[in-house]
Amino acid sequence: MLQTLPRRAVVALLALSVFFPLGLVLWQSVLSGPFFMPSAQLSLESFVFIFEDPDFWMATRNTLIIAVGMSVIAIPLGAVLAFIMVRTDLPGRRWLETPILIPIFVSPVVLAFGYVVSLGPVGFFSVWFEALFGHVPWNIYSLASIVVIAGLTHVPHVYLYSSSALRNLGSDVEEAARLSGASPFRVARDVSIPMVSPALLYVGVLVFFLGFEIFGLPLILGDPEGHLVLTTYLYKLTNKLGTPSYHLMAAVATCIIAVTFPLVLLQRALLKSAQRFVAMKGKSARQRPLALGPWKWVALAVIALWLLLTIVVPVSGVALRSVVSSWGTGINLLEVLTLDHFRAVFEEDVMIRSILNSILIGTFGGALAVGGYLLVGLATHRKADGLSRLVDYIVLTPRAVPGLMAGLAVFWVFLFVPFLAPLRSTLFSVWFAYAVVWLAYGMRLIQSALMQVGPELEEAGRLVGASRARVSLDITVPLIRNGLLGAWLLVFMIFEREYSTGVYLLSPGTEVIGAQIVSLWASGAVDVVAALSLINMLLVGSGLALALRFGVKLHD
Amino acid sequence: MKFPFQHARRRLGFLIAATLVGLAAGSLPARAQSTADLAAAAAKEGKLVIYGVTDNEQANHLIREFRVQYPAVQVEYSNMSTTELYNRFISESAAGSSADVTWSSAMDLQVKLVNDGYAQPHKSAETAKLPEWANWKNEAFGTTYEPIGIVYNKRLVPAADVPQSHADFIRLLSTQADKYKGKVTTYDPEKSGVGFMLVTQDKQVNGAGFADLLKAFGGVAVRVQGATGTMMERIASGENLIGYNLNAAYALTRAQKDPSIGIVLPKDYTLVLSRVMFIAKGAKHPNAAKLWLDFVLSKKGQEIIASKADLYAIRPDVEGDTTASGLKKQLGDALRPVPIGTGLLTYLDQAKRLDFLKQWNAAVKAK
Repeated sequence: MLQTLPRRAVVALLALSVFFPLGLVLWQSVLSGPFFMPSAQLSLESFVFIFEDPDFWMATRNTLIIAVGMSVIAIPLGAVLAFIMVRTDLPGRRWLETPILIPIFVSPVVLAFGYVVSLGPVGFFSVWFEALFGHVPWNIYSLASIVVIAGLTHVPHVYLYSSSALRNLGSDVEEAARLSGASPFRVARDVSIPMVSPALLYVGVLVFFLGFEIFGLPLILGDPEGHLVLTTYLYKLTNKLGTPSYHLMAAVATCIIAVTFPLVLLQRALLKSAQRFVAMKGKSARQRPLALGPWKWVALAVIALWLLLTIVVPVSGVALRSVVSSWGTGINLLEVLTLDHFRAVFEEDVMIRSILNSILIGTFGGALAVGGYLLVGLATHRKADGLSRLVDYIVLTPRAVPGLMAGLAVFWVFLFVPFLAPLRSTLFSVWFAYAVVWLAYGMRLIQSALMQVGPELEEAGRLVGASRARVSLDITVPLIRNGLLGAWLLVFMIFEREYSTGVYLLSPGTEVIGAQIVSLWASGAVDVVAALSLINMLLVGSGLALALRFGVKLHD
Repeated sequence: MKFPFQHARRRLGFLIAATLVGLAAGSLPARAQSTADLAAAAAKEGKLVIYGVTDNEQANHLIREFRVQYPAVQVEYSNMSTTELYNRFISESAAGSSADVTWSSAMDLQVKLVNDGYAQPHKSAETAKLPEWANWKNEAFGTTYEPIGIVYNKRLVPAADVPQSHADFIRLLSTQADKYKGKVTTYDPEKSGVGFMLVTQDKQVNGAGFADLLKAFGGVAVRVQGATGTMMERIASGENLIGYNLNAAYALTRAQKDPSIGIVLPKDYTLVLSRVMFIAKGAKHPNAAKLWLDFVLSKKGQEIIASKADLYAIRPDVEGDTTASGLKKQLGDALRPVPIGTGLLTYLDQAKRLDFLKQWNAAVKAK
């Protein structure tokens, strides 16, 4: 029974890390001022204020439109994409797998910035398009554009879940349909996709809920025409009253959590039923790819167009903007080529520090986070008791909190917990916030690695008298070291991509590229934003290259 | 609380002066002596923490020279936005201690902090050089003299259109509304504290013309932004053509690199903003803070502000284009510096602020 103590300690620490910051947010939302000011009193005035503010309702409406709109776009597209990639003989499938997943790992602020410089009113592509056809038919700053872009960039999420569900299905029914004369599209629509509908329902909830937390895209694209969503409304409250309105921000965060937390629970319930459904169908493993015939050109064209819109256009925009000093109508790009922006980045200590910090937080921070997740994973591994169920819920909770607010809460924690205070202006505070915000993601990686260890191996260890800790150390962990390496690389990429969580933690010593971009964008230093964005993509790209080199699967 | 301290200081100053008079020395060495004392005390502290909104690049010019003069004082400068600075300063002060010096262009927030008792007074030969409106209770000090102007794209706005005054600007927008629709940009008063302050100053200074200005903005569906840099970028690219209430100091920096940027300082009136600096009451390095404040206000410091940091010097005895005296030659009585004082607190009142924003939104978002 010696092992129960460390196990309980791990769970207690986990609970504290999750619930203390969350509790601060909830507590702050029912106060009349910043919680650290002596004048703050218990009051519901913050809720009264936001419910009376027309901007709040506008933001709520826009958030709903975006969440619904992006689900409507991403789910069918992602499902079709998964069908084409998993069940058909499309040429170059293996090669296409990686580019399809790239949008998951590119920071949304970088993407949004890319769209502005590519497709904005005077963007590179807009200017070329106008020269060819006379006018630009799209408006990148409209709510519709935000919905379309959000939808397109979330296709990979749908793809991930539906493709793994499709992989578990036998192909006999599809073949039967094809033999009776159905087109591949018909097969997908009437046979394969309905069969993975539980997975689609699950991912539908996921995408809808991501719609509530979306921040980078509306921050940059919604700004010029004033389209607010709940997260950008929250961000805007930092300034609206002239002095900080922490209580109002916390009230908005509480409203968001009131929507997202039930969705997280719903997701959990759905995941269980989806797994059950797939497991029953997964017995006949033999799969034969469906022959697409001439349809393969259509399929390839759809994928190419999607890749062009979601990756090539924004990324090339960022790359181009980072090497020109000026842009827009009437500018010859060849005359304004320059490397000054990169020079400016490498001349400033702050920028160099933010690049180094980003690397540190991805590599060491990523490893440390994986270590922490592993401890939690081991604490609940093969133990289906109350404590494990509790951990399940604790792990899911941070998913419901917008990264922006989680960062602010962690800032407060480090400010007012005496023994943590010296760590506030160190990278540790940022790491802690990241590790908590990405807890659910990391735990999924760890748990899927742990699942692959056959129970008989661990039981053998136990039989010869080894303690639980010893079994973990000598049997379980060595067996999953490849899984851990994969988890580390994926966490590296996610930490490089993260931006909103660091916004309120930004201070000398804690600069990371993502938060730095948000802050620089607000101050309008676009040249430097472009250069930093490109550097950020290079970092993520090298993580991706390493992951591919080591054969890490980008999904489970 | 601070009175006994002031008395003690004054008594000490008197003592030193008396001693020096006794030694038959002039008043000049007396001042040098006190700066030397301050420098010695600062050297003992060894460090100085500044929170500022001025870009690192610009602030570094000042810091470098300060380090040359006082190598024993390490300077830790953190650059952040005006709101971040305010938030960080009050929350850190509540948790213990924060920066020694804050330096921000959000004049209203700085005045609020001083008004709420977060500052300590300082009086020296350098602070005496400031114009009266730029020194509030010897606690809040204006350090720059930055004119607010109209910025336009030289490639795309014909010379005949370029407005020379606020009246011209309003006329241009109302007579050529189609041409400038969606092409005019200004601060979003909901997002930018500085933008809010400027437009409320407009309301006070422009009087009757202000309603016309709002109407003109509504007529061209003005695009609002949270920061000067974003507006500059849009004007340079041609996405927007004219920007209103932009800090000419920033525009000037950009214009040096980008020939498409043009700047006008309106002839009827030009608002002037001053970056406010104060020493924190709970400063851990109070002497270093005083030394720094004196340095920024010194002739040398002001010359760096004017020539290298691309801001405008406030000290009347510093000469050049980017100084208060240079601007006076050019614009004379049209200059309207925003006085540092309780007047700035009016719109930090929640009801008044929301009222103004409502008025702004109703006028500007009207189709």
